Amino acid sequence: MPPRLCALCHAVRAILKRPKTGQQICKECFFYVFETEIHNTVTEAKLFKPGDRVAIGASGGKDSTVLAHVMKTLNERYSYGLDLFLLSIDEGITGYRDDSLETVKRNQQQYDMPLKILSYDELYGWTMDAIVTQIGKKNNCTFCGVFRRQALDRGAAILNVDHIVTGHNADDIAETVLMNIMRGDIARLGRCTSICTQGEDTIKRSKPFKYAYEKEIVMYAYFKKLDYFSTECIYSPDAYRGHARAFLKDLEVSRPSAIIDIIHSGEAFEIKEDVKATQKSQQTCRRCGYMSSNELCKACTLLEGLERGMAHAVATDRGRKKLDADDHAPENLRTIPFFQLPASSRPNSTAPIEAAS
Amino acid sequence: MSCGNPQAEPDALMQRKKKYDKTRNCVRCKDAIGNIVIRHAVYCKYCFFPLTTHKFRRALEPNVNAKPDGPRKTALKPAGTLLVGFSGGLGSSVLLDLVYKCYVSLDKSTMPAEGGRDHPRHERVWKKITVCYVEVCDAFPGTPDRTEDVTKFVSRYDELQLATLRIQDAFDPAWWEKIGGRMSFADIGVSLADEALFIGSLTQSHLDPLAALRAYLSSLPTPTAVHSAIQTLVRVLLLHSALHTGASHLILGTSLTSLAISLISGVAQGSGFNIREETSEEWYPDTGVTNVPEYWPDEGRKGKRLKRTVRVVRPLRDIGMKECAAWAWWSHIPVVGKETWLWPGAKPGIGTLTKEFILGLEQDYPSTVSTIVRTCAKLQPKGEVEGKCILCGRPAQRGVQNWKAQIAIRSQPPPPPAADARAALSPAPVVAEPPFQASLTPYLCYTCHTTLTSRSARPVPTPWPDLARPSVVSLPVWTAARLSVSAESEGAEMVEPTDEEVVRQRKMGQDEMKSIVNEFLLED
Repeated sequence: MPPRLCALCHAVRAILKRPKTGQQICKECFFYVFETEIHNTVTEAKLFKPGDRVAIGASGGKDSTVLAHVMKTLNERYSYGLDLFLLSIDEGITGYRDDSLETVKRNQQQYDMPLKILSYDELYGWTMDAIVTQIGKKNNCTFCGVFRRQALDRGAAILNVDHIVTGHNADDIAETVLMNIMRGDIARLGRCTSICTQGEDTIKRSKPFKYAYEKEIVMYAYFKKLDYFSTECIYSPDAYRGHARAFLKDLEVSRPSAIIDIIHSGEAFEIKEDVKATQKSQQTCRRCGYMSSNELCKACTLLEGLERGMAHAVATDRGRKKLDADDHAPENLRTIPFFQLPASSRPNSTAPIEAAS
Repeated sequence: MSCGNPQAEPDALMQRKKKYDKTRNCVRCKDAIGNIVIRHAVYCKYCFFPLTTHKFRRALEPNVNAKPDGPRKTALKPAGTLLVGFSGGLGSSVLLDLVYKCYVSLDKSTMPAEGGRDHPRHERVWKKITVCYVEVCDAFPGTPDRTEDVTKFVSRYDELQLATLRIQDAFDPAWWEKIGGRMSFADIGVSLADEALFIGSLTQSHLDPLAALRAYLSSLPTPTAVHSAIQTLVRVLLLHSALHTGASHLILGTSLTSLAISLISGVAQGSGFNIREETSEEWYPDTGVTNVPEYWPDEGRKGKRLKRTVRVVRPLRDIGMKECAAWAWWSHIPVVGKETWLWPGAKPGIGTLTKEFILGLEQDYPSTVSTIVRTCAKLQPKGEVEGKCILCGRPAQRGVQNWKAQIAIRSQPPPPPAADARAALSPAPVVAEPPFQASLTPYLCYTCHTTLTSRSARPVPTPWPDLARPSVVSLPVWTAARLSVSAESEGAEMVEPTDEEVVRQRKMGQDEMKSIVNEFLLED
């Protein structure tokens, strides 16, 4: 039987079957369509403007490793004119971050990008190891997630960048759509498919891999021989998210387009106006200046809980409200430095990067 | 050291979680010992019936008058008769029982207490109630025909008329003509072998409806597509039957649990734009392809006559599967049952996987189904509507094909600016521009287009593997009729959460990466 030719170039032997489309294609065409689809996502959403300073959230995992590579490639190929940086967060988990930070440091040299590593210890005075020692394995995800989100913004502010890009892929977004429907988180459901999020007081954050399948990201890393570290929760996997993830994988096996179909669904609906009106409005934390839906932001509440030895109580909504209501924080309480948007994050009038006509 | 044997060691047994909140007594009458727990609340058998009837009426009655949620102080006055979609399953059996008790036998136990004996609310609401059953056994090999059982079941309820259809009626021009459908002038079909969904002429005109149905189903790319196609065919058959029988309302026995499953399954199949229709729907028949009767909106026959529409309501949407089972058990309803749509070698589709997932999740998180339904009720479609899908009849979103093309490149794009070297080394072969051929794609919504084109990673067996598959297969009669009308009128060819996790780092070797993507790599 003659070798099957690539369904795209019809010239070279096909060596892979694209998980996203089922087409049998050659390696070069795979690189090209993968990168071009990211470029389409970037230009369609008008994510960047020439001269933007962009931080790539780099964990050393597959998504961020491939993201750094693709951002560098596209920036050169299409002359985006971006200043790219790498931004890593060290949560302080002994023995686990070290290797992946090495990958990030190698990326810094390979791609010639400045790197900033910001640790929880530096920012909050607590490492994840210390947090787990106090609260145990239950609920530690709440602390890590909240602290990481703020840490990225604060790291970006230190780097004085306009924009953070993260490696969230199509599988992550589809999973989040399902999760938010199943747990009734209408506010997050409304915004989880947005490619870019920016509040008045936060740095613009976007997901160029929004439509990229996780399998294709691994495939890209494999063929490009990029090395990365696989990520696995060691402390406390979120059981509910685990269910959703397993379900999504089953759906993908049954019909690979399910991932993109869920994202399409998420983009094709919105929250009704009357429901929107009942949503809490955003404000800034009175203690650290970060965006918040309450008087105190989540990170300040959690940090106060840790400092006062009542971290268990603040991991729940009820506990947080109680702490919010109790305004008698000790005088010598360690707090998070006040957050200020970098000067460059102010709107500028430069035209966004669009697809060449 | 602990052996973990509960008999030897009582602490080894996990403490059983109480299924109810506070007491074993009924939360309604506060007197009798409870017989059923409905999401942590305990009800006795005697309070369960009025509670369920109340939920049923609350979901249906605000939708009975032409103006939904309008004043209903005097009476419920539907614009037409009632059609009950009956599948033989638990939900539709309970629905039929409730309809009969509330609107035919006027069972006193189902009547609201207030308003007195002669209150207009106690009059018959529906002049005629028809039960419509669509037999789908011919779609799958070895599936028993339940028509007789259904006939026997419906005959328990006097004054209810039964209309039976067969799934292949969707491909039967005689049925279509009988219900006032406009005949398609040409024998047109579609090629499902190609993603382009080219429209073509049928090789065999006037194909037997059963053969046409089986050829259509066998050409679908996945088990999900087969299930989804049958659900669509049944839904549209019921809608046309409702229109034909003068029904203003079509009610379905979708329970809260089934609704949650269909919402998640719909989202997983890309039908986010139609999430509202999954709960309730106002169907406007296509006047171009079927005869749509008119009616007087007011009793006095004043004003302008209006074209009929069919309102689809799911009155069991607040009643879970467990409550339906309790109603059926305590009311001694002999549920006919539904066959699972399976065939040899078939893997579970998205609908089946979603059902298993939701039912499993409900065990640990009992409020899940209710949360899903309440969350989806807070959503509305986003974006512009571009007509109606000619296959399912639901609103189609504008620009879905552009969206699909943008996020997944399926044909060779021009070389990138910096790829000149590669282009020079391997010039793309000259491919002749294919001649223009009409496609079904522009007439489809996202979900139907995905149903017809999205394939599995591995080939899947079809329900009828021995059937000769023609290159062009028949389309449902309403779709073929719409295509004919379009061709005629055009006079030419048609056209993030924050809960991220603490991570363990492990370097990925090339072999390990390869194992993840191995199933997508072609052999050397």
